[in-house]
Amino acid sequence: MKQYISVLFLLIAYVHFGQKSEFIIPKEAVTVFSINNVDVLKKIGVDELIKYDFMDEIHQELFDGSTDNKSLKDAGIDFDQRLNIFYGKNQYFELSGFTFGIKNEKALFSVFDDFDPLPTEIPGAKAYGSFFNNLVIKSNNALLVRVEPIESSVLEITDSIWFSRGNMSPYYNGFEIDTELSDDELMKQDLEYDLREKNYNELRDSIQFVLQNQYLNSVLNGLFKNGESLYSMYPRFQEVLLHPVAGVFYMDNERNFDRAKNLWYLKSVLPTLYLDIQELYEGNVIVGDLVLKDKAIDFNISAAYSEPLGSIYMEMNDSKFDKRISKYIKQDQSAFFTYNINLKKAYEKAYEVVLPILGKEKNVELSMNVLLLKLANEFINKDALFDTYKGTMFGTFNGIKKVKTRKIEFFYNEDTFEYGERETDAEEDMPIFTLGFTTARPDVPELILDHLSNVTSKFEKKGNYWIYKQAIFDAAPVYMINTDGLFIFTNDEDLALNHWEGYGKEGLNSKTLKSIKNSGSLCGYADLKSVANQFPIDFLLPEQQPLMESLRGKSGNMVMRSGKTTVNKTELSLSYSFETNEDSGKHLLDMLNTLYLITK
Amino acid sequence: MKIKYLLLLLPLLFNSCIEIIDDLTVHSDGSGTFKYSINLSSSKLKVNSILALDSLNGRKVPELSQIEAKILEFRTNLAKEPGINLVKTEFNSTDFILKVQIDFSSVAQLQDGVKSVLQVMSKEKDKESFEGDWISWDGKTLNRIIPTILANKAKSFENSDVDLLKNGTYTSISRFDKPISKTSNPSCKLNPTKTASMLQVNTYDLKLNNSLIENTITLTP
Repeated sequence: MKQYISVLFLLIAYVHFGQKSEFIIPKEAVTVFSINNVDVLKKIGVDELIKYDFMDEIHQELFDGSTDNKSLKDAGIDFDQRLNIFYGKNQYFELSGFTFGIKNEKALFSVFDDFDPLPTEIPGAKAYGSFFNNLVIKSNNALLVRVEPIESSVLEITDSIWFSRGNMSPYYNGFEIDTELSDDELMKQDLEYDLREKNYNELRDSIQFVLQNQYLNSVLNGLFKNGESLYSMYPRFQEVLLHPVAGVFYMDNERNFDRAKNLWYLKSVLPTLYLDIQELYEGNVIVGDLVLKDKAIDFNISAAYSEPLGSIYMEMNDSKFDKRISKYIKQDQSAFFTYNINLKKAYEKAYEVVLPILGKEKNVELSMNVLLLKLANEFINKDALFDTYKGTMFGTFNGIKKVKTRKIEFFYNEDTFEYGERETDAEEDMPIFTLGFTTARPDVPELILDHLSNVTSKFEKKGNYWIYKQAIFDAAPVYMINTDGLFIFTNDEDLALNHWEGYGKEGLNSKTLKSIKNSGSLCGYADLKSVANQFPIDFLLPEQQPLMESLRGKSGNMVMRSGKTTVNKTELSLSYSFETNEDSGKHLLDMLNTLYLITK
Repeated sequence: MKIKYLLLLLPLLFNSCIEIIDDLTVHSDGSGTFKYSINLSSSKLKVNSILALDSLNGRKVPELSQIEAKILEFRTNLAKEPGINLVKTEFNSTDFILKVQIDFSSVAQLQDGVKSVLQVMSKEKDKESFEGDWISWDGKTLNRIIPTILANKAKSFENSDVDLLKNGTYTSISRFDKPISKTSNPSCKLNPTKTASMLQVNTYDLKLNNSLIENTITLTP
């Protein structure tokens, strides 16, 4: 009881005497990074700060010179208040921005000079606009927000209006037909054309503009007129702000649209099932503390979930670590991860939790699928299945290797400039990976590979390993090693040819192994300098590329460990240690940017 | 631009080690042959990795079959244009080499035909992008410049891999029945019989300065 009273007291004291910028975060925000001690950022240059991806909204300020050689202190920002960066997305719009305190409004506008005053009906507030950004200042607190309608929703409305006006498809190619018209006919067509009628793109832009204003007004009215902020509506967010750390992270996965949209079909077609499934995600909030240390930043994450979901996670994490993988990870490996789960137990628990929910539905199609699941559960040899993938997995990044390829080269006759083609050797960079898992049924992968080798000569057994020739982009081979209860895929020729039994003494030492064992289901390590600077960015998906770009030029280590998993929550820690003498605030922003890109 | 799939290749061209050759033969009667080759074989690992993606820089990455279909569409449409006598295309999807050969009756018809097909297949309805002469021939002087649409497109590409780009070459060859008396581009070299000129530039330099392959070639009377 005493504990509750003291928390209540802290909360009251906080609300009355504490920082206020967090009170004006819109309720639509799903993810928030709140930097508690803005003081650590005092020495950061404004132009340096707004280069970060989480400051995307005001990147244009970089180009007009107003931010040159100005520190955050020069920008009139109140360092007694938090800087809160937020992002949210629902079915209709995406919103992003940040809130902060202002000490000197004049200084603020001398740096952010692109903003022009706008009329506003919000009592006691001043509003400003710049391109798509809106700045609202109330009681020395500022909210910079950008609201953008979801493109698919804009296009749906545009199409509806466009076709209802009797128009052809905007992609209809009238040009080909126009070429058959005479000059007189073309002139007549031009004269008949109503210039007031918007073309497809103009119509789309108008709809986007109207929706943008409508959604922005709805966000601002909810926040300033109805007092509905993230802080006022979500107690878990209030609680996380009380943590005495440099920064906190909050993500409401229950309201995470990207997860929710996967359930859209259920919501429309099987609403009762949707409600049951939604219950599984009830209270699924992920919070984290950013702890600033000397030459290190720790990010401690806690993911809360409902008991049924938690029971599945608990079973999944109840797994014995298989140390045989350690000989395939070098002690000085630039990056590796291990993942240890009990898939059989997780399957059985998920079957126990999810199947009754599905079984309640009276829908014929779903009912037949439930029957199929039940029959599969009876007939499939689950022991064989889950013995093939036993549960301990590892992956390593083994650096970059020049891969030999062939190229066609043009050559010229100097007398005639005629040219021909010749095939020559070429080299290209390729990231080298290893991925392996433990198995109690080595005969199963062997059976598959043996079969494939009969079908195509690209699969071939070479003594202690299998080779799949030209497997990667028709150029480089993949090797498969099936030994000692492990099945390993790699494009590392050296591993397959010379270390198929492991790296011996070069493998992980007992201290590291112990630390991995204690880490729970997940452990990851990366030497940022060698990974981020070496990794060929073209091998990543476009949405992953900014993350790798943001890590380039950094030095230090990143270690990720999962912690205790209970029926209500699981813990995860990410530690970023750096060797340079750079300002720790800069490293905090680097890490925050990395996390922002991961969670956006 | 329905030829967007072809243009989607352009960012690859400017981000990879690439060899481009344009080879124009103009006979005394104005007819001739234009050959265009794009060779990405030294970056096939990279091109393959990009083709494996769904999208790149917000644009859909086409499948090989879509690229082949667009090349066929380009060939079919161009063959229908007045003054275009023969169009041949060859796409080596293993080594990523595209070759186009066009036989034409006059240089003006070659230009009009290519412009017309590109405009029909292009998303760029902005006629200005297609305006102006890319190539002209008056019987004794040949003028060549980079088309505005390609110059603008090239400038809009970001180079994440400058080193690879710096290894690329663009070669422009012009052949005639009569000897060449002079050329405006000092980097242009002539063969011993002076019936052919060759201009070879780096693709990265060309991206920065489109005028590098501008050339006016005058023949002896």
